[in-house]
Amino acid sequence: MLQAPASFAISGGITAEENDKLRSEYPMPSGDMLGDNCSACHGTKGAEFNEAMPPLAGMDKAKFIKLMKDYRANKFPSIVMHDVAHVFSDQEIEAMADFFAKQKPEEWTRPDWNASIKANTKENSHE
Amino acid sequence: MNKITRRDLIKLFGAGALSTGLMGASSLAFAKQSAHIVIVGGGVGGAASAKYMRLLNPDVRITIVEPEPKYIFCPGSNEVVAGFDTLETLTVDYNTLKSRYAVNVIQDRATEIDYANKKLKLAKGDVLSYDKLIVSPGPDFKYGAVEGYSKQLAEGDFPAAWHAGPQTLTLRDQINALPQGGTVLISSPVDPYRCPPAPYERASFVANKLKETNPTAKVIILDSKDDFIFHDVYLDYWKKEHGLGTADARIEWVPKKAGGHVTKLDTKNRTLTTADGQVHKGDVINIIPPEMAGSFVRMNGLAKGDWAPFNSQDFSTKRDKDVYIIGDSAAADPMPKTGYIASNQAKVVTKAIQAELTGKEIGTPFITNNCVAMAADDWGMTVAETFRYAGNHHAYEESYVMSDPTENPYYRHIRAEVAKNWQRTFRKDIFS
Ligand SMILES: Cc1cc2nc3c(=O)[nH]c(=O)nc-3n(C[C@H](O)[C@H](O)[C@H](O)COP(=O)(O)OP(=O)(O)OC[C@H]3O[C@@H](n4cnc5c(N)ncnc54)[C@H](O)[C@@H]3O)c2cc1C
Repeated sequence: MLQAPASFAISGGITAEENDKLRSEYPMPSGDMLGDNCSACHGTKGAEFNEAMPPLAGMDKAKFIKLMKDYRANKFPSIVMHDVAHVFSDQEIEAMADFFAKQKPEEWTRPDWNASIKANTKENSHE
Repeated sequence: MNKITRRDLIKLFGAGALSTGLMGASSLAFAKQSAHIVIVGGGVGGAASAKYMRLLNPDVRITIVEPEPKYIFCPGSNEVVAGFDTLETLTVDYNTLKSRYAVNVIQDRATEIDYANKKLKLAKGDVLSYDKLIVSPGPDFKYGAVEGYSKQLAEGDFPAAWHAGPQTLTLRDQINALPQGGTVLISSPVDPYRCPPAPYERASFVANKLKETNPTAKVIILDSKDDFIFHDVYLDYWKKEHGLGTADARIEWVPKKAGGHVTKLDTKNRTLTTADGQVHKGDVINIIPPEMAGSFVRMNGLAKGDWAPFNSQDFSTKRDKDVYIIGDSAAADPMPKTGYIASNQAKVVTKAIQAELTGKEIGTPFITNNCVAMAADDWGMTVAETFRYAGNHHAYEESYVMSDPTENPYYRHIRAEVAKNWQRTFRKDIFS
């Protein structure tokens, strides 16, 4: 693996080995669990587009995997993505790729909730 | 009331059958009866819980209890203090959560949990029944840690401005009215407090503004700590831009070991006294008090010491399995108290609740905090932290990479752009 550039020199917490060990002790977090962690920057279900952070929803699986692995290996200068990617295993990257590939590349809508809930609930009850 | 409650089911089938999800049929029945998820606090943690719960389940009933009609984001509020953003930009309402996500929002303050009957009492007298209760009321401030300081003073002439709102504007106006050559004192608290880099970001923004409008004025940070996140980046910035360490430095940082820990406020003479007896006079005095879990959390027996402990797998409280604690009130160390963290804790909780409702196993949680801060409009910094589950009765294990001072202006500039982008995306992720 390449060295992080000097500008990203400060790192800490558990070592890569400890990280691996924890991963082996518990079931892998689901693709949804991993993918939903990205929404603060990339939007709900990865569907937000803005200048500095591209959308992930609907991204081709192979492309996502290649990008994340390249980030992880620090193959080219990036602003935060190497720092984010360095802790993920191949399997975790793949689970995230699946999660984003199945999202629609548009803002998330579900207009029929009110009806769905009404059908199941007594009117106006706080209970 | 003919609804089958979870308690009824437990009586019939035993708690074990329900919690392990072996009772497929009973879990389904529970879902069919529309479980009621009640949320205390409509801030970052609470609103994210409501939205992400709805993304998982179209049928549950979701209620937020929040006393304020609107929410003002704290991320971005230092920009308001320095005058390059407005509170309006940071203000959102609950209309989208109500209409798009079918969330019931009750404008009231939650007061008491009746654990035995799974009911939540509200200040105006309403009582809500819940199947699951998510608590995210943010922190309270320990005004008493600084002798002579109080909530009344914070709401008056000595704003803390650590919860965005009227105090943010008071502080901004005071800085605008600072006499030429005047002094701004910022007291930075002991850990843990919401948004660790924010006092230093605030000091930088204020100094930048003074450089233009009031170049002989000064900012002095009186710190209750000897170190802080992005220490090297901020000190580098202050040296380059504000002459840190020189006789006419525009910014000074007094760590705890140099006597920075503030113990006393004298409102009449406008001075702060520190632990070793130094007296600092300030035209503007901004005390950021130390924090503890919100009063709702402490009054309902959810806190141990200042913060509320929880089971790591799902953030259910140690006090009661059906009551969850997230956000700044949770004893989540080594996770910092940020909105980013609060929103990701919300996702862990809602996934755990959904798993229980559908009789599935609760999965392994995972949390990131990719935080951004700025020293100036084109001088940003980032920290990427991940928190791995290390067992239900253990703290999460942290791994992080953070910005170092860099001579590369492109890095600094793009990081600042990332920071600005993030604020917009984040607000949308929670409230739109
Ligand atoms: C200057 C500053 C800058 C910041 N910048 C960032 C940043 O860049 N990135 C980041 O991730 N974080 C940032 N933060 C931190 C972030 O604002 C908090 O960590 C986050 O808001 C915590 O969410 P919460 O849900 O715990 O609390 P809050 O968002 O404060 O929400 C709590 C809500 O609960 C309500 N409430 C309280 N008591 C009750 C009750 N009894 N009943 C009902 N409702 C109640 C309150 O009215 C409030 O609306 C910043 C903070 C500050 C001060």
